[in-house]
Amino acid sequence: MQKIIKFVLTNKLLMLVLGLLTLAGGWFSYRQLPIDAFPDVSPSLVQVFTETEGLAPEEIEKYVTFPVEVAMNGLPQLEKIRSISNFGLSVVNIYFEDGTDIYFARQLVNERLQEAREQIPEGFGDPRMGPISTGMGLVLFYYLDDTTGQYSLTELRTIQDWLIKYQLQTVPGVTEVLGIGGWEKQYHVVINPDALLRYNVTINEVIDRIKANNLNVGAQFIEKNSEEFIVRSVGLAKNIEDIESIIIKAEDGIPIFLKELADVKIGGAVRRGVQTRNGIEEVVAGMVIKLYGSNSSTVISSVEKKLDEINKMLPPGIKIVPYYQQKSLVEASVQTVTDALMQGIFLVALILLIFMGSFRPSLVVAISIPFSILFAMIGMRYFGISVNLMSFGGLAIAIGMMVDGTIVMVENVDRLLRKSKPGEPRIHIVARACIEVARPILFAIFIIIVVFLPLFTLQGVEGKTFKPLAFTVSLAMLGSLIFAIFLAPVFADLLMRRPKSKRLKSGNAGNENAESKENIVIRLLQKVYVPVVTFFVKRRYMAVALAVVLILIGALVFPRLGSEFTPTLQEGTIVLRLTMAPSISLNESTRITQIVERRLMKIPEVTGTVTRIGRGEVGAHTDPINSGEMYILLKPREEWRTARTQQDLEKVIRDAVGNIPGVLENFTQPIQMTVDELLEGVRAELAIKLFGDDLDVLKEKADEIVKVINQVPGAADVQADQISGTPQLLIKVDRHAIARYGLNVEDVQHVVRAAIGGETAGQIFEGVRRFDILVRYDPEFRSNIEAVREILVSVPGGIKVPLSQLASIEEVVGPRQITRENSQRFITIQSNVVDRDIGSFVADGQKAIAENVALPPGYLVTWGGQFRLQQEANKRLMVVVPITLLIIFLLLFSSFNSLKNTLLILLNIPLALVGGVVALWISGQNLSVPSSVGFIALFGIALENGMVLVTYLNQLLKDGVPMDETSVKGATLRLRPVLMTALTTALGLIPLLFSTGTGSEVQRPLATVVIGGLVTSTILTLLVIPAIYKWFAIDLRVERRLD
Amino acid sequence: MNEKLKIVFFNMLVILLLFSAVSIQGCSDQSGDNEKTRVGNPGHEEEGHDENGHEEDEVVQLSPDELKEFGIELATAGPGQLKVHVDLTGEIVIDPDRLAHIIPRFPGIVKEVRKKIGDKVKKDEVLAIIESNESLVPYEVKSLADGTVIEMHLSLGEVINDATHAFVVADLSHVWANLNIYQKDLQYIRVGQEAVITAGPEMPRAVGRISYISPVVEEDTRTALARVVISNPDGRWRPGLFVRAEVVKERANVDVLVPKTALETFENQTVVFVQTPEGFRPQPVVIGRRNAEKVEIIAGLRKGQEYVAKGGFTIRSELQKKAFGGGHGH
Repeated sequence: MQKIIKFVLTNKLLMLVLGLLTLAGGWFSYRQLPIDAFPDVSPSLVQVFTETEGLAPEEIEKYVTFPVEVAMNGLPQLEKIRSISNFGLSVVNIYFEDGTDIYFARQLVNERLQEAREQIPEGFGDPRMGPISTGMGLVLFYYLDDTTGQYSLTELRTIQDWLIKYQLQTVPGVTEVLGIGGWEKQYHVVINPDALLRYNVTINEVIDRIKANNLNVGAQFIEKNSEEFIVRSVGLAKNIEDIESIIIKAEDGIPIFLKELADVKIGGAVRRGVQTRNGIEEVVAGMVIKLYGSNSSTVISSVEKKLDEINKMLPPGIKIVPYYQQKSLVEASVQTVTDALMQGIFLVALILLIFMGSFRPSLVVAISIPFSILFAMIGMRYFGISVNLMSFGGLAIAIGMMVDGTIVMVENVDRLLRKSKPGEPRIHIVARACIEVARPILFAIFIIIVVFLPLFTLQGVEGKTFKPLAFTVSLAMLGSLIFAIFLAPVFADLLMRRPKSKRLKSGNAGNENAESKENIVIRLLQKVYVPVVTFFVKRRYMAVALAVVLILIGALVFPRLGSEFTPTLQEGTIVLRLTMAPSISLNESTRITQIVERRLMKIPEVTGTVTRIGRGEVGAHTDPINSGEMYILLKPREEWRTARTQQDLEKVIRDAVGNIPGVLENFTQPIQMTVDELLEGVRAELAIKLFGDDLDVLKEKADEIVKVINQVPGAADVQADQISGTPQLLIKVDRHAIARYGLNVEDVQHVVRAAIGGETAGQIFEGVRRFDILVRYDPEFRSNIEAVREILVSVPGGIKVPLSQLASIEEVVGPRQITRENSQRFITIQSNVVDRDIGSFVADGQKAIAENVALPPGYLVTWGGQFRLQQEANKRLMVVVPITLLIIFLLLFSSFNSLKNTLLILLNIPLALVGGVVALWISGQNLSVPSSVGFIALFGIALENGMVLVTYLNQLLKDGVPMDETSVKGATLRLRPVLMTALTTALGLIPLLFSTGTGSEVQRPLATVVIGGLVTSTILTLLVIPAIYKWFAIDLRVERRLD
Repeated sequence: MNEKLKIVFFNMLVILLLFSAVSIQGCSDQSGDNEKTRVGNPGHEEEGHDENGHEEDEVVQLSPDELKEFGIELATAGPGQLKVHVDLTGEIVIDPDRLAHIIPRFPGIVKEVRKKIGDKVKKDEVLAIIESNESLVPYEVKSLADGTVIEMHLSLGEVINDATHAFVVADLSHVWANLNIYQKDLQYIRVGQEAVITAGPEMPRAVGRISYISPVVEEDTRTALARVVISNPDGRWRPGLFVRAEVVKERANVDVLVPKTALETFENQTVVFVQTPEGFRPQPVVIGRRNAEKVEIIAGLRKGQEYVAKGGFTIRSELQKKAFGGGHGH
């Protein structure tokens, strides 16, 4: 230590240059850091989407999902594979271990996708990976506003898909633009089945004819007079007339054109999603997805710029209107913490001025703040942490703490300067002062960093949320340590002066009166403090009693505290999520949604609503059509009349919406919603997963398990997943019937597919835009079961047979969707546990299931859910926490060389705890992850204060001051630094306590705990420790022997 | 989640202060925690109900305003006429009884042609004059019936023998619609049933009765033939036209007739939602005959009962709400 301080003081210029370089490096890093709203909690996940038009969940699973899953098995760093087979869509989520590089993972998946493609039958879709993005990637949503009212939804969608989309995708940082709503343009060939019969053609012949009459070819070149002529033959159909004039057959030289058989017109593709607005209209919308790892704020602002450009290119009357953008959220949350940071710095500086009584030492301390922050920036860049609510929040928390080391140092310099003999060179005094406290500072700051260790072991969402905070706090503390050791002495030497009075009045050094006269605040405080501390030192048992009472209060209050998950970050955008019956049709869900929208529009604060129902282009959402997400657009907060806060407004909205028959509604927020979906976690404490093959058996057994678990004492909210409930029209080909006509199953199915579902027969090119030609029966002849029965199937030999004669047609209820995990179907039964501990509940439940539910071979029950995560976390913490404590203990012990001293300092922890607990209770908050983080920070600060005091007490004792006098005098002298560090920390957090900005709800519990805890731990440090120091004092004899 | 962090400072407490009693008590105090948890997490509330109490739960109350808003329509159960029909396809053919083939009596040379295709002719009206090869005397070829010339196979100067159809005259005032009956429909079709014949939106409908059903099924098409005679005074029903026929297989007066939109499937039963003083209640019903729009209710719905004729899906969804809410988690 000594050597370091001396080196530092002899190389002041070097230190200053290095310090400046650090500052510059920090600034440079800051400019390059990506800025997000929140830490991204999305898992390391690669999604594989396969769209197969018109296929039911069972077929999707069999033909598409399974091959993809199988191909992905055995990938390195694979965590699990989960899949959903929905109507027309297969989604395979491939989860990798946390921290896996996303590009690496995608590359692996891409290689294996080749295999999967070979296994998927022709025409069953092409699996492709989702956008390179995360749950935070949906940065901007917009809709197209047609002010003229003369563009059709098909035209608007075409503008979206072929103009806006491609323009936006050129913006750097945008990985995908997905459209939804309106109708994708198609050329519809609407076949009249009677006409097929009349002219004796089949629908398949029609399809083949269309395909055969719509192409361009190249035929190399011919040479003519030393010139080459490229030969091309053009025969592409260009418009409706071209399609209509395709010849289907010619009878006796009389051509029969397609138009005799069918209506050709522009129509919309089959859609699985709709976008509505204000309860009055359907709109076309788009969403911009940001590339993984790119800077949200830059991407959003360049997208906005591009939108302005595109707006100018659009046909007159059409406008792009953004209705959700993360920008406001990013800005708001960064603003919240930046404000807190600035206010904190101001308050800290104020405290310094008041306590130090002079400007120069305050300046030295103040410089440590920007240094520590900029140092943390370098670290953030190195570790790849973005600027967000949590990482900046960490800095805001640390403001008060990062000055502590320097305060102690500067305070000591200040004190020694006052005491100094006039002749001694200033640099010597500074060196002496610094050396005195360097070691305890080093240890104290180290301990603060160490207490944050358990945070680094957090996993999952909590880990991703709070690790950035732990990182920035640790980095800032490290920065403050570097500043305190390497730069504070330099600045102290350069900036601090002996008090003027000293320099004038020589020889009067060491006079304590003179010292305390200096600052009126300190003097006043001491006037109060000295009698109190003397009282306790004289009556030590009173001090013990005080401590015990405090701890008892804590013990009484603690069980009264509730607990909750991490408080939800308020994103400032309200989304009302509607869930309708699983069997609902898109038209009906659109109708119901618009009714809800109309109800909302009556609220004065609501300026508009934009709702997405189902899914649009594949890539971001996989919602079925019974789910709607309503973005509620609000007036600026100042104009609100019926509500003041977001929660109030949610209540107003809830009341206004009321009960919507057949619809479940709940509030969520855009990012929260997306992340929840990616995590696919079970929110209940317990998730019993039943794995097996047969969906009916799964359902039946799951219902049995629900019954059994309901009987177990403590069970609450027991519920099995709804895996069925989608009606199907099941057409089962009768093999005997087709045998009589010499048909193949495929012959029948082909007609079914083309007639009812429609079949693509090539494309029409309009420039580079291409639109499918869809051949399908006239709706009148396919849209109900009676009509389906009458669909005619051609039999070789020209006979037509109605479908109902070849197949049985029935209405059945089929699966809603099929979920699989690690290549096996499963159903989840969720449960919460009330009034008993989960461990014994699980044991009872397992026993009950084993006794009462007979599972067929191949069926398996696993137990998971939050409780499993908690158990794992607890197990990990059981190891980490004792290790942390051991490290702290060792640090303290090696610093003091005394077991007693170490124990005395550790005594700070429970007393700090009491204050935190009581503060939470008074403010009506719950135990939560952020409040726990507060406790962790609190421990570090409390230990630091204890150390400062005990070090000094030891010092006095070694100097031969008697015990009682040591206690009082030491405490009095240390009043200033202890109060200063405690106050700076507490005041640094005050802005967070009172902030109401975006994201403040996460920081508030943390600040509450630290501030409350500081109160009690400061009482302990100032009153109890001096009193009971006697019992924990170092053994002077031992010390002497060691010396 | 908070659990693990709780453990952090629990451990500190335990290890440092042996405050074990307090902390363990706090730790196992799950009940308080859970209550808070559920309150703190909206959306869980709705999911929370268990599935007991079905009986008293199966009522949905809706105000008249809500009924209007959601487009739910009520009706009173009552009698009605149910027409059940079978759809057939077929074509228009000439009635063979009203067809006259006119063949020249002697071979000869056509000297004169008086009528063209499409001309209306009367019986015994002269159609052409032919000079006989044998007697070299011209003779008149006369129409054998009233009708329209639909075929003509001779032109001036042509040598014609006595085996050629010189003219075909058909009486198109009545034509036949020959309908194909598929195997599955045979059982429903009887002679005398009313059939409505259509040939697309451009043509008016014609109504006739089935006058004949072929006793055998044709081997190569596996269809039987039903005949409807339709009158064709203005000649609109041209032979060769492709037609569809709606054959009324049954016309019944039923006691309770409801639109098909009134039926809903609820808990594997077909129900109609009826209005009771407490609200709308699903009423299992037994269905009788039906057509594409209407259904006969045999049991479960009394005459005079107020029921939901349209929009029952909304009520059914409301009843099932609790169930589908929980299943959303993928």
